[in-house]
Amino acid sequence: MATETNSDYADCLACPSCDLIFDISDLHDGEVARCSRCDHFLTVYRDNELRHVIAFASSALMFLVLSCSFPFMSLEMAGLENVMTLPRVVLKLWQTERQSLALLVAAFIIIIPALMLVLILSLSAALFMGRHYRWLALAGRLIYTLENWSMVEVFFVGVLVSLVKISHMATVVMGISFWAYAVFSVFFVLSSSGLDRVQCWRRIEDLSPS
Amino acid sequence: MNKISVTAASRNLVSCHLCMKLLNCSAQHCPRCGCTLHLRKVNSLQRTLALLITASLLYIPANLLPIMETNQFGQSVENTILGGVVLLIESGSIPIALVIFFASVVIPLGKLLLMFYLCWSIYYGPPEAIRQRTTLYRLTTFIGKWSMIDVFVVGILVAMLQVSNLLEIRPGVAAIAFAGVVVTSMLAVESFDPRVMWDRRDRNND
Repeated sequence: MATETNSDYADCLACPSCDLIFDISDLHDGEVARCSRCDHFLTVYRDNELRHVIAFASSALMFLVLSCSFPFMSLEMAGLENVMTLPRVVLKLWQTERQSLALLVAAFIIIIPALMLVLILSLSAALFMGRHYRWLALAGRLIYTLENWSMVEVFFVGVLVSLVKISHMATVVMGISFWAYAVFSVFFVLSSSGLDRVQCWRRIEDLSPS
Repeated sequence: MNKISVTAASRNLVSCHLCMKLLNCSAQHCPRCGCTLHLRKVNSLQRTLALLITASLLYIPANLLPIMETNQFGQSVENTILGGVVLLIESGSIPIALVIFFASVVIPLGKLLLMFYLCWSIYYGPPEAIRQRTTLYRLTTFIGKWSMIDVFVVGILVAMLQVSNLLEIRPGVAAIAFAGVVVTSMLAVESFDPRVMWDRRDRNND
Protein backbone atom coordinates (compact mmCIF):
# COMPACT_ATOMS: atom_id res chain seq x y z
CA MET A 1 0.00 0.00 0.00
CA ALA A 2 2.99 2.29 0.36
CA THR A 3 3.00 3.08 -3.36
CA GLU A 4 -0.41 4.76 -3.28
CA THR A 5 -0.30 8.53 -3.54
CA ASN A 6 -2.69 11.20 -2.37
CA SER A 7 -3.96 11.86 -5.86
CA ASP A 8 -5.64 8.42 -6.01
CA TYR A 9 -7.96 9.68 -3.31
CA ALA A 10 -8.31 13.30 -4.44
CA ASP A 11 -12.07 12.92 -4.99
CA CYS A 12 -12.60 10.74 -1.94
CA LEU A 13 -13.41 11.46 1.66
CA ALA A 14 -13.59 9.40 4.82
CA CYS A 15 -16.74 9.31 6.94
CA PRO A 16 -16.00 11.35 10.10
CA SER A 17 -17.99 8.86 12.21
CA CYS A 18 -16.68 5.51 11.00
CA ASP A 19 -13.71 6.24 8.68
CA LEU A 20 -15.08 4.43 5.60
CA ILE A 21 -13.85 5.91 2.29
CA PHE A 22 -16.28 7.22 -0.34
CA ASP A 23 -15.77 8.59 -3.82
CA ILE A 24 -17.89 11.74 -4.17
CA SER A 25 -16.73 12.96 -7.60
CA ASP A 26 -19.96 12.31 -9.54
CA LEU A 27 -22.65 13.98 -7.45
CA HIS A 28 -25.41 15.72 -9.40
CA ASP A 29 -27.32 18.87 -8.43
CA GLY A 30 -29.20 18.32 -5.16
CA GLU A 31 -27.73 14.86 -4.54
CA VAL A 32 -26.89 14.04 -0.93
CA ALA A 33 -24.09 11.69 0.06
CA ARG A 34 -24.56 9.65 3.24
CA CYS A 35 -22.32 7.03 4.78
CA SER A 36 -23.67 3.58 3.91
CA ARG A 37 -22.34 2.04 7.10
CA CYS A 38 -23.35 4.54 9.81
CA ASP A 39 -25.74 6.90 7.94
CA HIS A 40 -23.60 9.99 8.66
CA PHE A 41 -24.38 12.95 6.38
CA LEU A 42 -21.29 13.51 4.22
CA THR A 43 -21.98 16.23 1.68
CA VAL A 44 -24.57 17.69 -0.67
CA TYR A 45 -23.80 19.18 -4.06
CA ARG A 46 -25.86 22.12 -5.33
CA ASP A 47 -25.21 24.11 -8.50
CA ASN A 48 -26.55 27.35 -7.06
CA GLU A 49 -25.13 26.94 -3.56
CA LEU A 50 -23.03 30.12 -3.51
CA ARG A 51 -25.79 32.33 -4.93
CA HIS A 52 -28.19 31.17 -2.21
CA VAL A 53 -25.65 31.50 0.59
CA ILE A 54 -24.72 35.05 -0.47
CA ALA A 55 -28.41 36.02 -0.52
CA PHE A 56 -29.17 34.41 2.85
CA ALA A 57 -26.05 35.72 4.58
CA SER A 58 -26.50 39.31 3.42
CA SER A 59 -30.17 39.33 4.47
CA ALA A 60 -29.27 37.79 7.83
CA LEU A 61 -26.62 40.46 8.38
CA MET A 62 -29.10 43.24 7.62
CA PHE A 63 -31.66 41.79 10.01
CA LEU A 64 -29.03 41.39 12.73
CA VAL A 65 -28.14 45.09 12.47
CA LEU A 66 -31.86 45.94 12.59
CA SER A 67 -32.46 43.78 15.64
CA CYS A 68 -29.57 45.34 17.52
CA SER A 69 -30.67 48.92 16.93
CA PHE A 70 -34.41 48.97 17.71
CA PRO A 71 -36.46 48.07 20.80
CA PHE A 72 -36.76 44.33 21.28
CA MET A 73 -39.61 44.32 23.76
CA SER A 74 -41.13 46.93 25.98
CA LEU A 75 -42.75 46.29 29.30
CA GLU A 76 -45.29 48.20 31.33
CA MET A 77 -45.60 47.49 35.01
CA ALA A 78 -47.22 49.67 37.68
CA GLY A 79 -47.03 52.76 35.50
CA LEU A 80 -43.37 52.28 34.71
CA GLU A 81 -42.06 51.50 31.26
CA ASN A 82 -38.94 49.61 30.32
CA VAL A 83 -37.71 49.37 26.76
CA MET A 84 -35.28 46.53 26.13
CA THR A 85 -32.86 46.33 23.24
CA LEU A 86 -30.57 43.42 22.45
CA PRO A 87 -27.30 45.15 23.51
CA ARG A 88 -29.02 46.26 26.72
CA VAL A 89 -29.64 42.64 27.75
CA VAL A 90 -25.89 42.16 27.76
CA LEU A 91 -25.30 45.54 29.41
CA LYS A 92 -27.74 44.83 32.26
CA LEU A 93 -26.19 41.42 32.87
CA TRP A 94 -22.79 43.08 33.01
CA GLN A 95 -24.05 45.52 35.64
CA THR A 96 -25.30 42.74 37.91
CA GLU A 97 -21.72 41.68 38.65
CA ARG A 98 -22.02 38.52 36.60
CA GLN A 99 -19.65 39.66 33.89
CA SER A 100 -18.70 36.16 32.76
CA LEU A 101 -22.36 35.41 32.06
CA ALA A 102 -22.75 38.66 30.14
CA LEU A 103 -19.73 37.82 27.98
CA LEU A 104 -20.96 34.29 27.32
CA VAL A 105 -24.43 35.46 26.30
CA ALA A 106 -22.99 38.23 24.11
CA ALA A 107 -20.68 35.72 22.41
CA PHE A 108 -23.35 33.11 21.77
CA ILE A 109 -26.10 35.36 20.45
CA ILE A 110 -24.36 38.36 18.85
CA ILE A 111 -20.58 38.16 18.45
CA ILE A 112 -20.14 34.62 17.09
CA PRO A 113 -23.16 34.80 14.73
CA ALA A 114 -22.08 38.22 13.42
CA LEU A 115 -18.49 37.07 12.89
CA MET A 116 -19.68 33.90 11.14
CA LEU A 117 -21.98 35.84 8.84
CA VAL A 118 -19.27 38.31 7.80
CA LEU A 119 -16.89 35.41 7.12
CA ILE A 120 -19.50 33.34 5.26
CA LEU A 121 -20.47 36.34 3.14
CA SER A 122 -16.91 37.30 2.20
CA LEU A 123 -15.84 33.69 1.59
CA SER A 124 -18.79 32.81 -0.63
CA ALA A 125 -18.51 36.12 -2.50
CA ALA A 126 -14.83 35.47 -3.20
CA LEU A 127 -15.59 31.91 -4.32
CA PHE A 128 -18.47 33.11 -6.48
CA MET A 129 -16.28 35.62 -8.29
CA GLY A 130 -13.54 33.04 -8.58
CA ARG A 131 -10.86 35.15 -6.95
CA HIS A 132 -8.21 33.73 -4.71
CA TYR A 133 -7.16 35.54 -1.56
CA ARG A 134 -4.75 34.40 1.12
CA TRP A 135 -7.38 34.69 3.86
CA LEU A 136 -9.78 32.20 2.27
CA ALA A 137 -8.41 29.19 4.18
CA LEU A 138 -8.37 31.12 7.46
CA ALA A 139 -11.97 32.22 6.95
CA GLY A 140 -13.01 28.64 6.22
CA ARG A 141 -11.26 27.37 9.32
CA LEU A 142 -12.95 29.96 11.53
CA ILE A 143 -16.40 29.30 10.05
CA TYR A 144 -16.27 25.56 10.64
CA THR A 145 -14.70 25.91 14.10
CA LEU A 146 -17.33 28.37 15.31
CA GLU A 147 -20.20 26.51 13.66
CA ASN A 148 -21.34 24.66 16.80
CA TRP A 149 -21.05 27.69 19.06
CA SER A 150 -23.73 30.03 17.80
CA MET A 151 -26.99 29.78 19.72
CA VAL A 152 -29.25 32.07 17.74
CA GLU A 153 -32.19 29.66 17.53
CA VAL A 154 -31.82 28.64 21.18
CA PHE A 155 -31.94 32.29 22.26
CA PHE A 156 -35.10 32.82 20.26
CA VAL A 157 -36.86 29.97 22.06
CA GLY A 158 -35.59 31.52 25.31
CA VAL A 159 -37.22 34.81 24.31
CA LEU A 160 -40.55 33.07 23.73
CA VAL A 161 -40.35 31.32 27.11
CA SER A 162 -39.59 34.54 28.97
CA LEU A 163 -42.41 36.30 27.12
CA VAL A 164 -44.88 33.82 28.59
CA LYS A 165 -43.29 34.15 32.02
CA ILE A 166 -43.42 37.96 32.05
CA SER A 167 -46.90 38.24 30.53
CA HIS A 168 -48.27 36.96 33.85
CA MET A 169 -46.82 39.98 35.64
CA ALA A 170 -46.92 42.84 33.18
CA THR A 171 -47.98 43.99 29.74
CA VAL A 172 -45.39 43.17 27.12
CA VAL A 173 -45.24 44.72 23.68
CA MET A 174 -43.01 43.20 21.03
CA GLY A 175 -40.86 45.72 19.17
CA ILE A 176 -39.42 45.82 15.65
CA SER A 177 -36.28 44.03 16.78
CA PHE A 178 -38.24 41.03 17.99
CA TRP A 179 -39.52 40.35 14.50
CA ALA A 180 -36.18 41.26 12.95
CA TYR A 181 -34.45 38.74 15.21
CA ALA A 182 -37.00 36.06 14.26
CA VAL A 183 -36.28 36.61 10.55
CA PHE A 184 -32.54 36.85 11.28
CA SER A 185 -32.48 33.46 13.01
CA VAL A 186 -34.17 31.79 10.03
CA PHE A 187 -31.74 33.35 7.52
CA PHE A 188 -28.78 32.63 9.78
CA VAL A 189 -29.59 28.91 9.96
CA LEU A 190 -30.18 28.82 6.19
CA SER A 191 -26.85 30.48 5.40
CA SER A 192 -24.69 28.56 7.89
CA SER A 193 -26.17 25.20 6.91
CA GLY A 194 -26.22 26.16 3.23
CA LEU A 195 -22.46 26.35 2.86
CA ASP A 196 -21.55 22.67 2.61
CA ARG A 197 -18.21 21.91 4.26
CA VAL A 198 -16.81 19.50 1.66
CA GLN A 199 -17.92 21.46 -1.40
CA CYS A 200 -16.72 24.74 0.10
CA TRP A 201 -13.22 23.36 0.68
CA ARG A 202 -13.10 21.81 -2.78
CA ARG A 203 -13.90 25.22 -4.24
CA ILE A 204 -11.19 26.87 -2.13
CA GLU A 205 -8.72 24.24 -3.34
CA ASP A 206 -9.69 24.76 -7.00
CA LEU A 207 -8.86 28.46 -6.65
CA SER A 208 -5.50 27.91 -4.97
CA PRO A 209 -2.61 28.80 -7.26
CA SER A 210 -0.49 25.69 -6.72
CA MET B 1 -21.39 8.26 -5.07
CA ASN B 2 -19.21 5.19 -5.15
CA LYS B 3 -18.42 3.21 -2.09
CA ILE B 4 -14.93 1.94 -1.51
CA SER B 5 -15.27 -0.61 1.27
CA VAL B 6 -12.12 0.20 3.18
CA THR B 7 -11.40 2.56 6.01
CA ALA B 8 -8.98 5.43 5.56
CA ALA B 9 -6.77 4.17 8.38
CA SER B 10 -6.29 0.78 6.68
CA ARG B 11 -5.03 2.58 3.54
CA ASN B 12 -2.60 4.67 5.59
CA LEU B 13 -4.69 7.75 5.01
CA VAL B 14 -5.64 10.43 7.49
CA SER B 15 -8.75 12.58 7.15
CA CYS B 16 -8.42 16.26 8.08
CA HIS B 17 -10.87 16.91 10.92
CA LEU B 18 -11.80 20.34 9.61
CA CYS B 19 -11.93 20.16 5.80
CA MET B 20 -12.14 16.36 5.44
CA LYS B 21 -9.31 16.13 2.92
CA LEU B 22 -7.72 12.68 2.68
CA LEU B 23 -3.95 12.71 3.04
CA ASN B 24 -1.09 10.32 3.49
CA CYS B 25 -0.36 9.41 7.11
CA SER B 26 3.09 10.96 6.90
CA ALA B 27 1.69 14.48 6.46
CA GLN B 28 1.75 16.73 9.53
CA HIS B 29 -0.42 19.63 8.37
CA CYS B 30 -3.30 19.78 5.97
CA PRO B 31 -2.13 21.67 2.84
CA ARG B 32 -5.69 22.82 2.15
CA CYS B 33 -6.76 24.37 5.47
CA GLY B 34 -3.56 24.34 7.54
CA CYS B 35 -4.89 22.26 10.45
CA THR B 36 -2.66 19.82 12.30
CA LEU B 37 -3.52 16.27 11.25
CA HIS B 38 -4.30 13.42 13.62
CA LEU B 39 -5.37 9.92 12.63
CA ARG B 40 -7.87 9.98 15.52
CA LYS B 41 -8.72 12.78 17.91
CA VAL B 42 -5.88 13.05 20.43
CA ASN B 43 -6.53 11.23 23.75
CA SER B 44 -10.22 11.36 22.95
CA LEU B 45 -11.38 9.04 25.74
CA GLN B 46 -9.34 10.74 28.50
CA ARG B 47 -10.34 14.24 27.42
CA THR B 48 -14.00 13.31 27.05
CA LEU B 49 -14.10 11.66 30.47
CA ALA B 50 -12.30 14.56 32.15
CA LEU B 51 -14.74 17.08 30.67
CA LEU B 52 -17.73 14.88 31.47
CA ILE B 53 -16.69 14.62 35.12
CA THR B 54 -16.25 18.41 35.25
CA ALA B 55 -19.71 18.89 33.77
CA SER B 56 -21.25 16.41 36.24
CA LEU B 57 -19.64 18.19 39.19
CA LEU B 58 -20.85 21.58 37.94
CA TYR B 59 -24.34 20.15 37.57
CA ILE B 60 -24.64 19.82 41.38
CA PRO B 61 -24.31 23.56 42.24
CA ALA B 62 -26.32 24.36 39.11
CA ASN B 63 -29.32 22.60 40.64
CA LEU B 64 -28.82 23.29 44.34
CA LEU B 65 -27.93 26.99 44.23
CA PRO B 66 -30.35 29.73 43.12
CA ILE B 67 -30.39 30.54 39.41
CA MET B 68 -32.15 33.88 40.03
CA GLU B 69 -32.19 36.19 43.04
CA THR B 70 -35.07 38.63 43.38
CA ASN B 71 -35.05 41.46 45.88
CA GLN B 72 -38.31 43.36 46.28
CA PHE B 73 -39.06 45.80 49.11
CA GLY B 74 -36.17 44.37 51.09
CA GLN B 75 -37.58 40.86 50.74
CA SER B 76 -35.33 38.50 48.85
CA VAL B 77 -36.55 35.43 47.00
CA GLU B 78 -34.22 32.84 45.49
CA ASN B 79 -35.27 30.50 42.70
CA THR B 80 -33.60 27.24 41.75
CA ILE B 81 -34.10 25.58 38.37
CA LEU B 82 -36.53 22.98 39.69
CA GLY B 83 -38.26 25.60 41.86
CA GLY B 84 -38.88 27.63 38.72
CA VAL B 85 -40.43 24.61 37.01
CA VAL B 86 -42.72 24.00 40.01
CA LEU B 87 -43.75 27.69 40.00
CA LEU B 88 -44.61 27.46 36.30
CA ILE B 89 -46.76 24.36 36.87
CA GLU B 90 -48.58 26.08 39.74
CA SER B 91 -49.31 29.13 37.60
CA GLY B 92 -50.75 26.88 34.91
CA SER B 93 -48.14 27.22 32.16
CA ILE B 94 -47.68 23.51 31.63
CA PRO B 95 -46.15 23.75 28.10
CA ILE B 96 -43.53 26.29 29.23
CA ALA B 97 -42.80 24.19 32.32
CA LEU B 98 -42.20 21.24 30.00
CA VAL B 99 -39.85 23.26 27.77
CA ILE B 100 -37.79 24.40 30.77
CA PHE B 101 -37.85 20.94 32.34
CA PHE B 102 -36.63 19.35 29.10
CA ALA B 103 -33.99 22.00 28.41
CA SER B 104 -32.51 22.20 31.91
CA VAL B 105 -33.04 18.71 33.36
CA VAL B 106 -33.73 16.05 30.73
CA ILE B 107 -31.32 17.21 28.00
CA PRO B 108 -28.20 17.92 30.15
CA LEU B 109 -28.68 14.85 32.35
CA GLY B 110 -29.53 12.63 29.40
CA LYS B 111 -26.55 13.94 27.49
CA LEU B 112 -24.13 13.31 30.36
CA LEU B 113 -25.45 9.77 30.92
CA LEU B 114 -25.38 9.07 27.18
CA MET B 115 -21.77 10.25 26.85
CA PHE B 116 -20.69 8.18 29.87
CA TYR B 117 -22.41 5.18 28.30
CA LEU B 118 -20.67 5.80 24.96
CA CYS B 119 -17.26 6.01 26.65
CA TRP B 120 -17.98 2.76 28.51
CA SER B 121 -19.29 1.09 25.35
CA ILE B 122 -16.00 1.54 23.47
CA TYR B 123 -14.63 -1.39 25.44
CA TYR B 124 -17.65 -3.21 26.83
CA GLY B 125 -20.58 -2.30 24.55
CA PRO B 126 -22.43 -4.79 22.33
CA PRO B 127 -20.70 -4.80 18.92
CA GLU B 128 -23.92 -5.41 17.01
CA ALA B 129 -25.44 -2.09 18.19
CA ILE B 130 -22.54 0.04 16.95
CA ARG B 131 -24.62 1.79 14.28
CA GLN B 132 -27.21 2.81 16.88
CA ARG B 133 -24.46 4.05 19.18
CA THR B 134 -23.04 6.22 16.38
CA THR B 135 -26.54 7.65 15.85
CA LEU B 136 -26.81 8.33 19.59
CA TYR B 137 -23.51 10.20 19.47
CA ARG B 138 -24.73 12.38 16.60
CA LEU B 139 -27.89 13.09 18.58
CA THR B 140 -25.81 14.49 21.46
CA THR B 141 -24.06 16.88 19.08
CA PHE B 142 -27.44 18.32 18.01
CA ILE B 143 -29.24 18.63 21.34
CA GLY B 144 -26.32 19.97 23.40
CA LYS B 145 -26.79 23.70 22.99
CA TRP B 146 -30.55 23.63 23.64
CA SER B 147 -29.95 23.40 27.37
CA MET B 148 -28.77 27.03 27.30
CA ILE B 149 -32.44 28.13 27.15
CA ASP B 150 -32.76 28.62 30.90
CA VAL B 151 -29.63 30.78 31.10
CA PHE B 152 -30.97 32.98 28.30
CA VAL B 153 -34.36 33.21 30.01
CA VAL B 154 -32.68 34.41 33.22
CA GLY B 155 -30.71 36.98 31.23
CA ILE B 156 -33.81 38.34 29.52
CA LEU B 157 -35.81 38.43 32.76
CA VAL B 158 -33.00 40.34 34.47
CA ALA B 159 -32.89 42.89 31.67
CA MET B 160 -36.66 43.22 31.37
CA LEU B 161 -37.80 43.36 34.97
CA GLN B 162 -35.31 45.89 36.25
CA VAL B 163 -37.82 48.69 35.90
CA SER B 164 -37.19 50.52 39.13
CA ASN B 165 -34.92 50.41 42.13
CA LEU B 166 -37.64 48.71 44.15
CA LEU B 167 -37.21 45.47 42.29
CA GLU B 168 -33.71 44.09 41.99
CA ILE B 169 -33.13 40.92 40.01
CA ARG B 170 -29.78 39.30 39.43
CA PRO B 171 -28.65 35.97 38.03
CA GLY B 172 -27.58 33.55 40.74
CA VAL B 173 -24.40 31.50 40.94
CA ALA B 174 -26.27 28.55 39.44
CA ALA B 175 -26.67 30.43 36.17
CA ILE B 176 -22.88 30.51 35.76
CA ALA B 177 -22.54 26.90 36.91
CA PHE B 178 -25.23 25.86 34.45
CA ALA B 179 -23.59 27.72 31.56
CA GLY B 180 -20.42 25.86 32.59
CA VAL B 181 -22.26 22.54 32.37
CA VAL B 182 -23.41 23.33 28.84
CA VAL B 183 -19.99 24.53 27.64
CA THR B 184 -17.96 21.67 29.19
CA SER B 185 -20.38 19.01 27.98
CA MET B 186 -20.31 20.48 24.48
CA LEU B 187 -16.50 20.32 24.60
CA ALA B 188 -16.75 16.71 25.83
CA VAL B 189 -18.92 15.78 22.85
CA GLU B 190 -16.45 17.50 20.52
CA SER B 191 -13.48 15.56 21.88
CA PHE B 192 -15.17 12.15 21.62
CA ASP B 193 -14.18 10.17 18.53
CA PRO B 194 -16.81 7.65 17.32
CA ARG B 195 -14.27 6.12 14.92
CA VAL B 196 -12.58 4.50 17.91
CA MET B 197 -15.66 2.30 18.35
CA TRP B 198 -15.54 1.23 14.71
CA ASP B 199 -11.78 0.64 14.92
CA ARG B 200 -12.27 -1.89 17.68
CA ARG B 201 -14.97 -3.72 15.76
CA ASP B 202 -12.89 -3.77 12.56
CA ARG B 203 -9.94 -5.16 14.48
CA ASN B 204 -12.06 -7.90 16.03
CA ASN B 205 -13.47 -8.86 12.63
CA ASP B 206 -10.05 -9.29 11.04
